Amino acid sequence: MNQNTDLLTLRSVSKSYGTVPVLHDIDLSIRDGEFLTVLGPSGSGKTTVLRLIGGLEPLTSGEIRLDGQEISRMPINKRPFNTVFQDYALFPHMTVSGNVGYGLSVRHIRRKEIASRVAQALELVQLGRFADRFPAQLSGGQRQRVALARALICQPRLILLDEPLAALDLELRRQMQEFLKSIQREIKTTFLFVTHDQEEAIGMADRICVMQAGHIRQLGTPHDLYYKPNCEFVARFFGENNLVAGKLGPVQGEQRPIETALGRLVCSISGQPHLKTAPDGASAFAAFRPEALHLADAKDSSNRFSGTIADLAFAGSSTVATITAGTVDPAQRLRLRMPSRIDGSALKPGAAVSLCFAPHEGHLVLA
Amino acid sequence: MSGTSSTLPGERRLSLLVTVLAFSLPIIFVLVPLAIFLVYSFFSVDQGTIVHVPTLGNYIRFFTDPIFLPVFWNTIVLCVSVAAICILLAYPAAYFLTTLKGRWRYALLMLLLVPLLMSYVIKIYAIRSILGLNGFLNKALVALGILDHPSTLFVFNMNAILLTLSLLLIPFAILPIFLSLERIPQTLLRASDDLGASGLQTFLRITLPLSLPGVASAASFVFVLAIGDFLTPQMVGGVSGFTFGRILYSQFGTAYNWPFGAALSVALAIVVIAAILVGERFGRSRGTTV
Repeated sequence: MNQNTDLLTLRSVSKSYGTVPVLHDIDLSIRDGEFLTVLGPSGSGKTTVLRLIGGLEPLTSGEIRLDGQEISRMPINKRPFNTVFQDYALFPHMTVSGNVGYGLSVRHIRRKEIASRVAQALELVQLGRFADRFPAQLSGGQRQRVALARALICQPRLILLDEPLAALDLELRRQMQEFLKSIQREIKTTFLFVTHDQEEAIGMADRICVMQAGHIRQLGTPHDLYYKPNCEFVARFFGENNLVAGKLGPVQGEQRPIETALGRLVCSISGQPHLKTAPDGASAFAAFRPEALHLADAKDSSNRFSGTIADLAFAGSSTVATITAGTVDPAQRLRLRMPSRIDGSALKPGAAVSLCFAPHEGHLVLA
Repeated sequence: MSGTSSTLPGERRLSLLVTVLAFSLPIIFVLVPLAIFLVYSFFSVDQGTIVHVPTLGNYIRFFTDPIFLPVFWNTIVLCVSVAAICILLAYPAAYFLTTLKGRWRYALLMLLLVPLLMSYVIKIYAIRSILGLNGFLNKALVALGILDHPSTLFVFNMNAILLTLSLLLIPFAILPIFLSLERIPQTLLRASDDLGASGLQTFLRITLPLSLPGVASAASFVFVLAIGDFLTPQMVGGVSGFTFGRILYSQFGTAYNWPFGAALSVALAIVVIAAILVGERFGRSRGTTV
């Protein structure tokens, strides 16, 4: 499989339910063999994207192409995609092997071949011993794996996963994330995974597509989204972030200052031409991660400001300080994340501190 | 009954009363009469009075007399046929209902169940007039050219009982089938489509098997109601339409042989209980929790 060729392309796809639009002019390319996660809050239209691709619902306008061939009107049972449903949708009257073999038996494949492929698929999801059980006799994680085996046995070009981990508890969810990722690497099939959980998205995806209110806000690697969000929504939605509003100053090479209530903050704009061309005085945010913010020492000169510690929260390996800073009312609230130490932090709530972050760890997003 | 300090004595007494009622009502009104029937079936009648001496005579008569067993068997066949006809007609109707959206679905369901609100006897009269020599059915068949002249095939015989019972009992078949169809999660059908099944394959392999519990309860419902009915055969069966229910009725109503009637009732009750158990066995679906 070649990760650089497009498997599936959505071109200006829109969808409305009655008069209510849920998707506006979506353009999206899914590369062959990648693990693409569609991430968004509920109501963002992410599940609709999946349902349109799977053929569970018709498009309102636009087109979907598979290998360049238009498939927008292809019926669901002819599309070479299979879905892992949110509630698994296992057939309760069939055994595990009946469920897994279903996709093959409706295609009238010889019984012997079905049996061997079912055994293979169950081996892959580590459920070989459960072939004769009924779904009601399985745990949530096991049902999940049956649903996955059932979807991948037909060797689809694309596997669609609709928040499949939502019903599992945290520990099991972590295990299943690793498991899904390893299976995807093993069978080299393209996965389109829909979720509202950004941690899940970061952990598994090759690329993430962030959606909000029926629009795609940003598409990129988890690293890109984390360090170079292109809009306020992504900057706020994706991981913890500090956003400080201000007005852009003149470009200084690969950096650009922004005048804020905390003073002048200099941020990196490398590799983002739209930040270079934005006019001086434009409204924007300085964005920096809690782990980029630290207590200033004598040699720190830029991006320095003072604040007061409002609260300290121990979170295991790290400690998060909530800080109020700036003069404008209400004061800006910032978060600072630092490694925890066994003898406790020297900081106490109420203490005045001097803070800073390095310009290359700061980022700008246009308002 | 001494109330503990933590609960009010009055409250305790009330809950005790409810418990006693809950158990005593079915015992007094169901189990005790059944037990009396069972006991009576071992008595006999001599010159119009009941002899309270245990005997197996009634049962021996039932099994050896050439009249009773054939009628018993024919009645069972008749009622199985009624159940089959009801299922065949009710399934498409119930399936159609589940394809309707929202309000229409329940409006139409209610409409199909309206006949249950009408008097049983009036319905039988109405159906009898439809089936009769000058009835709607004969007139329609003659008008359509299917028959040359009105036929007596449809009234005062076994056919009439079959048709009338089927018509009367269809609502009892529609309801359980509809409920079982409605309970099938739509995502199961979508999953079947998604896995490449055609519409027919999805119906045969997902919808039909998952609705079988409803079909089983519908069948046992209709069968039990049909086999216990003596009024319908009495009114539309004529002379040739002789069912077990009518024999039973005649033992109590005309022959005044209560012990023998009781023995026949026990035989009928065994069939009914068997039908309910079979319906219950197939009515239980495997793992519907998913």
